[in-house]
Amino acid sequence: MLKSIWRTCCSLKIAIILASIATLLAMGGSLVMHFNPDVFGNLDNTTLIQWTEESGGTNPGLSWWLYATGFLIVLLTLNTACCFLDWLFVIRARWRKTGEYLIHVGFVLVVVAYFWGSLAGARSSGIRIAEGEIRPLEVMPGHYLRLDKFEPVLNDQGRPIDMLNTVTLLEGDEVVASQTVKTNTPLLHEGLVIVPSSFSRLTTGFEILVPSMGKGYRLTAGDAVPLKDGYRLIADAFVPDAVESGGRVFRRSDELREPAYLLRLQKDGKEQWRGWYFLGGPMPGKLRQAGFQLIVRSPVYKPVSYLTANRDPGAGLALAGGISITFGVFLALFSFYYKRARGDRPDIG
Amino acid sequence: MDSVTLHIFILKAAFACYLGSTALYLAHAIGRKKLWLKSALVFFVVAFFLHTLCLVLRWTSAGFLPVTNLFSTQFFFSWTLALTYLYFELRYRIHAAGLFVVFLTLLLLASALPRDPSLPPLIPTLDTPLFTWHIVFSFSGYALFAMAFSLGVLYLVQKKLQTGLLPDLTTLRKLNEEAIFLGFCLFTLCLILGSIWAHIAWGYYYSWNIKSVWSSIVWLFYAGMCHAKFIRRWQGAGYAWLSIAGFGVVLFTYLGIGLLMQSNHPLE
Repeated sequence: MLKSIWRTCCSLKIAIILASIATLLAMGGSLVMHFNPDVFGNLDNTTLIQWTEESGGTNPGLSWWLYATGFLIVLLTLNTACCFLDWLFVIRARWRKTGEYLIHVGFVLVVVAYFWGSLAGARSSGIRIAEGEIRPLEVMPGHYLRLDKFEPVLNDQGRPIDMLNTVTLLEGDEVVASQTVKTNTPLLHEGLVIVPSSFSRLTTGFEILVPSMGKGYRLTAGDAVPLKDGYRLIADAFVPDAVESGGRVFRRSDELREPAYLLRLQKDGKEQWRGWYFLGGPMPGKLRQAGFQLIVRSPVYKPVSYLTANRDPGAGLALAGGISITFGVFLALFSFYYKRARGDRPDIG
Repeated sequence: MDSVTLHIFILKAAFACYLGSTALYLAHAIGRKKLWLKSALVFFVVAFFLHTLCLVLRWTSAGFLPVTNLFSTQFFFSWTLALTYLYFELRYRIHAAGLFVVFLTLLLLASALPRDPSLPPLIPTLDTPLFTWHIVFSFSGYALFAMAFSLGVLYLVQKKLQTGLLPDLTTLRKLNEEAIFLGFCLFTLCLILGSIWAHIAWGYYYSWNIKSVWSSIVWLFYAGMCHAKFIRRWQGAGYAWLSIAGFGVVLFTYLGIGLLMQSNHPLE
């Protein structure tokens, strides 16, 4: 009885049936997937389990094939694992098929790794970070990412071709990894992979002209502008799109829409006034009284990088599976021709 | 003469030699004259030499394996097909039995020649040996699956006609199985390298893009075939039909998705 069950578990016919049904389901399902990007378009940016909870679960009519295929792949993996164990423990001339069975065990490892990564991993794309900023990593609680330096690489036509991000990974205050992340050069750390995805620019202030001084100045957060009669204007903050509500000023977005400065006016080192100046509105009275006039020349930009941070605890296992398969392939190729040369290939006639 | 013009000139010469070789193989299949057979092989070897020379020149000019647009992939795919035919011809003397693969080589070259042959600059994502080997194994796998298709069709023809013009059924079956096995091994390496590359480039080793899904389908299909040969019912004609169906899946994965659908492997 047990032998019979074991033989069923190792059945070659069952493997072929499972693989065939999974193939047919995936063929049809892939087309459903392609023509429903609103449901499936986000699959690469989330883990499979997260996608199931969000898009997949709310569209069972479109996503059932994926669950069915996944189930069949799990059964096929169990069948493959049983075949491998059967070969390992039961069959005598084990060397004959070592390559083939390394491929089997590699396949099992890759599938297990993928499901492990889907269940326990996390993905986060489009993490916007500017030079010098620190962002908490949602995919790895307790860890932070600092962008030390960012440099876009442009071609002769000015088109961006690469992004050099010097990043530091921190666990609390402790540095755990640091390197320049660019295309095909990710930061890898304990299942975490950080890759560049894109970049843009953020308005950080303006180049301004102060007529009373007859000079132009760059005014971003932290900059100071000398004025007449011992006055000095310091920008404490700049918000490219600010909104006032209940007497407080909030950042609405990072687009350049309603720019505002938090300014401080000093005379002979003493603070005279501090407040918000919305460039689209009237100038605050204190500034007007100090004879300050500001003409905006051009925005000042700073590049910001968008990074992808994915954590996949199964990635190492998947690599082990891949290595097993690769060795298996070379060994299988060698043994195929070796056996052919010796005429020792009863299975292919 | 600039380098691209030279490439095209060499490629046209290779095309002409392939054409001559095909005609001679067909003539030999009917007339059975040894001289025709020898000449056909000589023509084919010369054609393949020119084809390879063109590939080397383009690779050297570009500084990378140029397979980033439709012209280049057709050119490279046709080269792997010719290499596959040469392997089977030199090892097993299959002669006209592999002519489908040569026809496919001619078809791909005929389709590629009117296209823009210029060498596009390499985008940084593709600037890695992982990409180069991913492509080499991918097209080598496809070429062997094409050979399996050819042998599968001939197996069915031979089974029906029992003609002396074709190799016997056992030989055709063995060659078909070898083509499938080799193709599966190379395509497996293609997927492994592609996965590693995807992991370091995009942060995940399996993408749900339609191209990746269909590549998995191709792998699963041929993995099934590698097992099916052990089942008596699927040996012979069943296996030949599977080879034919498998190549349909390969064609859709390479051309159908690349040309008709949006994917991360566009063919422009």
